Amino acid sequence: MEIFIQSAAQISIQNPLCEDWFETPIIPTLPYNRSIEPDYKQFILPIASRRMGKLIKRAIATSLSALKQADIQELDAIITGTGLGCVENTEKFLSAMVKEGEEFLQPTFFMQSTHNTISSQVALFLKCNGYNCTYSHRGTSFESALSDAFIQLKLGKIKNALVGGQDEMTPDYFNMLGKIGYWKTEISPEILQTSNSNGSFAGECSAAITLGTEQKEQSLCKLHDVELLYKPSKERMQEVLQDMMTQANISSIDAVMLGISGDQKNDDIYKDFAETFFANKPICWYKNIFGESFTAPGFGVYTAATCLKKGIIPQHLRYNNIQEQELRTILVYNHFQNKDHSLILLSKC
Amino acid sequence: MNDKLVVTGMGIISGLGKGKEATVSALLAEKSAVGTIRYIQTMHNDIPVSEVPFSDSDMKQMLNIPEEQLITRTPLMGIVAAQEAIQQAKLTENKPKRIAFINGTTVGGMEKSEQFYIDFLENDSHSEYIAAHDCGAGTDDIADYFGIFNTTTTISTACSSAINALIIGANLIKAGKVDAAVVGGTECLSKFHLNGFNTLMILDRATCKPFSQNRAGLNLGEGAAYLVLEKADEAKQRGATALCELSGYANFCDAFHQTATSPNGQGPFLAMQGALQNAGLQPKDIDYISAHGTGTGNNDETESIAITRVFGEHTPDFSSTKAFTGHTTSAAGSVESVISILAMENNFVPANLNFAEKIENIDIQPNTKTKKKEMNHIMNNSFGFGGNDSSCIFSKIK
Amino acid sequence: MEELILELKKEIIEVLNLEEITPEDIDTDAPLFGEGLGLDSIDALELMMLMQKNYGIKVDNSEKGKEIFKSIRVMAEFISNNRTK
Repeated sequence: MEIFIQSAAQISIQNPLCEDWFETPIIPTLPYNRSIEPDYKQFILPIASRRMGKLIKRAIATSLSALKQADIQELDAIITGTGLGCVENTEKFLSAMVKEGEEFLQPTFFMQSTHNTISSQVALFLKCNGYNCTYSHRGTSFESALSDAFIQLKLGKIKNALVGGQDEMTPDYFNMLGKIGYWKTEISPEILQTSNSNGSFAGECSAAITLGTEQKEQSLCKLHDVELLYKPSKERMQEVLQDMMTQANISSIDAVMLGISGDQKNDDIYKDFAETFFANKPICWYKNIFGESFTAPGFGVYTAATCLKKGIIPQHLRYNNIQEQELRTILVYNHFQNKDHSLILLSKC
Repeated sequence: MNDKLVVTGMGIISGLGKGKEATVSALLAEKSAVGTIRYIQTMHNDIPVSEVPFSDSDMKQMLNIPEEQLITRTPLMGIVAAQEAIQQAKLTENKPKRIAFINGTTVGGMEKSEQFYIDFLENDSHSEYIAAHDCGAGTDDIADYFGIFNTTTTISTACSSAINALIIGANLIKAGKVDAAVVGGTECLSKFHLNGFNTLMILDRATCKPFSQNRAGLNLGEGAAYLVLEKADEAKQRGATALCELSGYANFCDAFHQTATSPNGQGPFLAMQGALQNAGLQPKDIDYISAHGTGTGNNDETESIAITRVFGEHTPDFSSTKAFTGHTTSAAGSVESVISILAMENNFVPANLNFAEKIENIDIQPNTKTKKKEMNHIMNNSFGFGGNDSSCIFSKIK
Repeated sequence: MEELILELKKEIIEVLNLEEITPEDIDTDAPLFGEGLGLDSIDALELMMLMQKNYGIKVDNSEKGKEIFKSIRVMAEFISNNRTK
């Protein structure tokens, strides 16, 4: 059975709910960047969204956009990956509890603080009784969600799925992560490209994609496989890559989409991966325009799928200067602190 | 080819103590673990809870983890429970090629974040705990301790996290992605969620009374439990004993309200019905339901309605064991799966403690006393905030 | 009383995050729950917290809450008769 990415939508530090990033990207210049918010009134009435934090509104807007593009009426599954969940509401509750005591805490902030609020609010909004799940596994949260959808489609348990990667970055959380080396103090395209210092720059992520088993005119690409690997050896990685390609009947990878972010420690792992398995192949990146977040790999899949649909890779997504002869297949590889790794194989329809 | 999924190992820690034996003894003795707060610092010390009766240092000693090693309570409890399951399944002696670790948790490292939050913001005295805050951090700590896993991920669907971990592990095996999976959940108590539930006004000031007309809310608990899943053939080849079969499961969403279940219990109804269909079983085949039964007004009424809709005249014995363990939130799905499998192994229906009288306008009532009974198929329900409702069925090996 | 009613409307708008609703939009005698503003059980909990925090009135069961939160006027009358701060 073949599986397709039918549609995708994003809200990020690029212009929201459109593909401006493909031709005219905004080039980030600061270590901390918030998403550009669309007008949510076209999606949600203010009275209905009164308890929703920014992240939930973004999730609903990207989900509705993706579903509309794919023309999905009956949705079988809503699966979200979120590394940190609803940070804004968690902080409101936590901060009030720590600073003002336990007496007058507000229930709304608590009930909107759990990670699964995102998936369940989307379900509530769509009145969708189908499969509903939330993954919160650090830097591979999005791929965990994608893997769940992929497996259930393969097993025939569902016919379509909405998969989201959703993370917000509040000022306090940005500062906290800064204390443990997440961010550079200064960034520019050159600094990111050379990656000779640790840390990256922060973005926020709301990426929604839909999957299905029928090819449609608007389908972006085929999804052949998703693998989640924990501390794999080189041999294991080689074996998995080979298996993936054999099963997909693909003899060669035309481009590799990596999570390179300018963070030397992490980028070294990506470069080693590329040299070992894909020497002399085009290497692409996306965090240079979307920033780092726990679910940023959602943008990796989104950009790769968009490139396959359009048949070209724009210059600003190219990390090296090697050109492909033809763009048919892209492998998206991501790792989190060299512990959790993910491989996603895509090809053009 | 025998494609059946079987359980080959189980481990548990809760207010009832460490391990399966302690758990069975407490259940048979009808001894509740709900009592006065011991570890959490809170102004609400009149709220009863069920705490795991070991300090972090106690658990580090049990596990040979150096006292100074940075690890929070949630993964510590997780390691204790996972170790028991891994040993029983002989996973390290005779390792399957690819093993997944699927962990359910929601609170993550919050019990440290709430202690050091001001420091996180204002100074560097406890910055080492910043990286331990998110849900996945504890999962990685557990996986690192054992060093046998090839895939790990973390599920966070609030009070149904652990049962969803079980569902995902089962699907990974069925799809051929892994050969075995250690699945379940772990959650320690935190001041954060104690206060959270308190603002929702759903905490009973006495021991909870699931399915009773006079119920007044839930008691929070903490704990961890894991099950080892693999194909029956694989287990046989490895020389592991199959304890029971995982015969069916389903996950649906109530899609009604963020914290309340729909009046006709649609999500729970779909989950139970879906699990039966997945298992190819009829309502009359189920011998016992380990109900979600939190003790809140809304859950117990809607769960009763959903049970009646699914089972009707064939409603089997059912009980909630939350008056024993408290509501172990993200761990509840695996804690109660282990409890109900132990009940099936030992031929008894666990008691639903503190039941006084049946809920008005509801025809069914739980099993109130420990009862000897041979069982072939048992169902376990776990329902979470946001309408994340899941059920699974375990069956005796024929 | 009119002053208290206005104050209460402002507090409710803030605590329930009723974007784009002004005190003038809220009918003093209309039901707060179900029809009218369309509030639900969580909003009721927020209102109970508001009563306790701002007026020192402890409302500890939802049945009592339902009576008090019938309308802004009923709520204001209850507050002026029972407030401790």
